[in-house]
Amino acid sequence: MVTRTVDLRSDTVTKPTEAMRTAMANAEVDDDVLSHDPTARRLETEMARITGKEAALFVPSGTMGNLICVLTHCPIRGSEVILGDSCHIHIYENGGISTIGGVHPRTVKNNEDGTMDINQMEAAIRDPRFEICYPTTRLICLENSHAHSGGRCLSPEYIDQVGELAKKYGLKLHIDGARIFNASVALGVPVDRLVQAADSVSICLSKGLGAPVGTVIVGSETFIARARILRKTLGGGMRQVGVLCAAALIALQENVGKLEGDHKKAKTLAVGLNKIKGLNVDIDSVETNIVYCDILKSVNITETKLCKILEGHGILILPEGPFRIRMVLHHQISESDVHYTLSCMQQAVNGVHGKQDGK
Amino acid sequence: MVTRTVDLRSDTVTKPTEAMRTAMANAEVDDDVLSHDPTARRLETEMARITGKEAALFVPSGTMGNLICVLTHCPIRGSEVILGDSCHIHIYENGGISTIGGVHPRTVKNNEDGTMDINQIEAAIRDPRFEICCPTTRLICLENSHAHSGGRCLSPEYIDQVGELAKKYGLKLHIDGARIFNASVALGVPVDRLVQAADSVSICLSKGLGAPVGTVIVGSETFIARARILRKTLGGGMRQVGVLCAAALIALQENVGKLEGDHKKAKTLAVGLNKIKGLNVDIDSVETNIVYCDILKSVNITETKLCKILEGHGILILPEGPFRIRMVLHHQISESDVHYTLSCMQQAVNGVHGKQDGK
Repeated sequence: MVTRTVDLRSDTVTKPTEAMRTAMANAEVDDDVLSHDPTARRLETEMARITGKEAALFVPSGTMGNLICVLTHCPIRGSEVILGDSCHIHIYENGGISTIGGVHPRTVKNNEDGTMDINQMEAAIRDPRFEICYPTTRLICLENSHAHSGGRCLSPEYIDQVGELAKKYGLKLHIDGARIFNASVALGVPVDRLVQAADSVSICLSKGLGAPVGTVIVGSETFIARARILRKTLGGGMRQVGVLCAAALIALQENVGKLEGDHKKAKTLAVGLNKIKGLNVDIDSVETNIVYCDILKSVNITETKLCKILEGHGILILPEGPFRIRMVLHHQISESDVHYTLSCMQQAVNGVHGKQDGK
Repeated sequence: MVTRTVDLRSDTVTKPTEAMRTAMANAEVDDDVLSHDPTARRLETEMARITGKEAALFVPSGTMGNLICVLTHCPIRGSEVILGDSCHIHIYENGGISTIGGVHPRTVKNNEDGTMDINQIEAAIRDPRFEICCPTTRLICLENSHAHSGGRCLSPEYIDQVGELAKKYGLKLHIDGARIFNASVALGVPVDRLVQAADSVSICLSKGLGAPVGTVIVGSETFIARARILRKTLGGGMRQVGVLCAAALIALQENVGKLEGDHKKAKTLAVGLNKIKGLNVDIDSVETNIVYCDILKSVNITETKLCKILEGHGILILPEGPFRIRMVLHHQISESDVHYTLSCMQQAVNGVHGKQDGK
């Protein structure tokens, strides 16, 4: 019977630590809608400081963080936003910016490293002379680290370049920084430097930093004031929310330092998987805590089947087909878990090979 | 120096109890988006049972609860919903059903008791023969207890009548039951009987029941399945949300029994205020935990000024102008607090009278 569980589905699975549970139980709270919950205020002040922005706002999820930022930058009907064709906002947020916010997306191809070509972005900006049939471009969105490319990092120089482009055309710049701390640690660049060019950033506390719930968005005072109203409208105005913010503060204090360890574990896993005959990992693309692994034809097993086999060993992985799986490392995965995963993976691939030989 | 605080602004100000804090710290949790958080599941199962519906869904706020229900009942562009002209959805939810959801509101006058005339509701239902220029009515919304009328209760018979009307025209019925437990206790009618005719109900745990955060919506399995997706789209998909659900379960177990006491305190306050010369309360309209108090011309003070004076005594009240204030009782207001409030109110009114006499 397998009692060991190694949950590599996402860094969102992180459970609150003892320190977080204690903090939640003792949190000083107040009605964050009628007043300002004091623990929420502490968290928001700290996040504004860390990011070098004027103000911050706690929201229930990264999806709401991005939704609020895009909609607040684009309050006028007929707006368009430029974003990567494989970015999280475009692929994994239910098309909410359009279905909920009426904002039109204009995608630009994401390169393998998570960037978009500056030229292509510039070409995608709508010419106002044709406004009779064009929406109006108001915003560019970047994602750092870029999840779909494997958690790859955008450099501060690249982000600054995009910021210059945005300024040149009077556009705003939003960064989906769900894993901005991972990027910061991997690049060795402080978060405020990384997001310097951005008008707004959305940052998850519930992923690698391990808080149970929540994201914080940052921006100017006026931006956050409008964002607060939209948060209420969407239904994200919670009452004694300090309970959650207390855990988020612990996450900030205690878990940023653990991210480097997650990146090391990811590298160990990547290198080990790549050594297994029948599996392939682009080691150079593993920059943070995400590992994509391809299943080669020689193995002749689908990604779904492989995940099922591993589930039998207590290892939870998401298929990112076709013939591709994704693993996400976090502080509640140990080095021993990584080695266990590698040996189960070897078994699984051998098992399939074995079946094939036996035919 | 005033150190005593009597917060009568709303029942949303209730802070988590020791039992809730302990439950939150010990909550069994999981990623409620990738999996199903076990404590959320327990809460949702219990709420479905209590209301006699098939399924339930925890959401961050009453605003999101109503927004999800209206939008899920009205997924097709060009939909219209009939609701009271002073209901919470129409007045206090940022017009979100329209600005976010594209649903058109058709209001019918709310009577003083919170009901709408059945004839007027029927007359407001769009005739499909005129669809070339009319939106399509899909939903009727009721609110129980009805906040703006002073927390007044809709009877099960009335709700059933509206339900019959809805069925006759193929419409759905949603109840904004933010304070449905207050109505249930005041009427002596179980919640499931009260909401029997409804297709969906939105119920706050964070108001009189005292949980720090959250609302639960209930409905059919298929309705809740679609609601879950919309919840994610709006950004209400939280991860280890069992932390909050644990407190909500305590609220359900421990605080429903306290609501009757809140209603008694409201009556005591109402009767006492009405005895003060210069103030007027319609005692018969005080059915649950909300008290509206009018300031008569003889006092010659605005509602804002009166609230300011009381704030100096540590009593927090919201003006609901003109010349009207609102007080909401909850389990963290004691009988002693009620008497303190009455004596400060008497002082405040005397003080103004005194100033006038001295002119």
